[in-house]
Amino acid sequence: MDHRILNALMAAAVSAGLSTAFTPAQAASPVEQVAAREQAMKRMGSGVQAVGKYLKGEGGSPADARSAAAAITEVSSLNPKQVFAEGTGIGVAKSDAKPELWQNFGKVQEIWAQLKPAAAKLDAAGSSGNKQQIAQAMQEVGKVCSSCHENYRRTPPTQ
Amino acid sequence: MLELPRELPPDPAHPMSKASFAAAVLLPFVLWADGGAVWGADPSSPDPVQRGEYVFIAAGCHGCHTDEKNGGAPLAGGRAMKTPFGTFHTPNITPDPQHGIGRWSDADFVQALRHGREPDGEALFPAFPYTSYTKMSERDLLDLRAYLMTRPPVAAPNRPHDLTPPFGWRFLLPVWQWLHLEEGTLADDPAKPAEWNRGRYLVEALGHCGECHSPRGLMGGMDHDRALAGNPNGPDGDKVPGLRPGVKGAGELSVGEIETVLELGMQPDGDFVGGAMGEVVRNTTSKLTPADRHAIAVYLKSLPPVH
Repeated sequence: MDHRILNALMAAAVSAGLSTAFTPAQAASPVEQVAAREQAMKRMGSGVQAVGKYLKGEGGSPADARSAAAAITEVSSLNPKQVFAEGTGIGVAKSDAKPELWQNFGKVQEIWAQLKPAAAKLDAAGSSGNKQQIAQAMQEVGKVCSSCHENYRRTPPTQ
Repeated sequence: MLELPRELPPDPAHPMSKASFAAAVLLPFVLWADGGAVWGADPSSPDPVQRGEYVFIAAGCHGCHTDEKNGGAPLAGGRAMKTPFGTFHTPNITPDPQHGIGRWSDADFVQALRHGREPDGEALFPAFPYTSYTKMSERDLLDLRAYLMTRPPVAAPNRPHDLTPPFGWRFLLPVWQWLHLEEGTLADDPAKPAEWNRGRYLVEALGHCGECHSPRGLMGGMDHDRALAGNPNGPDGDKVPGLRPGVKGAGELSVGEIETVLELGMQPDGDFVGGAMGEVVRNTTSKLTPADRHAIAVYLKSLPPVH
């Protein structure tokens, strides 16, 4: 199947799934909200995972960078106030979100806003097909992810 | 109409074109302004400052000696480090003569890192990882000092530590050092490949990985039998995973997967490391050469498994 069609289908599936999970009208329970957040993070994670494999020479193609970028763009369109709803910190289900996340929410929103431009660069790199450029764009995506995880996520026990 | 030449004509008196001259002069500043980009740091450079910068990166000096969260100047210290023994406030290691290490001689610097002692002979607290740095080569120590002396001096006084007795009793430190400090450079094992030896040096000496990834005894000494086997009580109370084969998670990674964690902070499932390791990736491992990241991974995979 053409990658562009596949990407579009994936994007649609992602946005349908995620926006349902984060619709405030549903008044999801904190446990459900944590599960939805985990799902959103995994969505981005499996996207970049494929790019990592491609960069290591373990298969895949530059199109994986475009798919990952689409997943990140979709997730980053969600409202961080819903993704990180109050009362979904450590202690709720498998949440690793530290209290500092809500104490510094302005900073968290700033980091969240960096996701989209980082994804745009990854998408452009994927279109160019240049491995070096994809690696560089991945580094930028990684910086955004890590900057939030560094300060606001407890190290998961299995990490 | 005057047409501009597409390229500058070569000037025999000045073999370097204006464009390449501008690039040579401006590029380092452009890269520097970019923030994360490293310029100058080069492990194979004959220049002590450039080599020293690489040692500085690999030894992770910036992170502990900079109070980033409160906007502190680079290397001016003041970062609070919570440990089970109390809170340490890292010291100023800029070349400031009064508050930093500007008056330290080469010998003073080597004494601090190799023997855990201040220039006046007073013992240093082992929150400063001299039990690892003692293994550094003489050349790395001196090059590191050479690089530090090029940093901007900052006149910021040191803050006293806030420790729980008896850990704050400095007079007990020589006893602690006698028990826990094995002084001396890490000699290469001639039976092993150069890559393995380099990896061991990066992990055991410069990277001081064991300071967080190894469990500690009651008096804060590293448990060498369980080196890199994980630490249930790491910095800021975080659980730190083991790195030896057999440890669930980090111990299961392949050489390639370890390299990706060190380069990008990305784990095999696409998740990015956070906490203290996120900082280590940002300041240190992402800036190492690919060969050095590979050497680290090779060494870690060679460690005895944990059962």
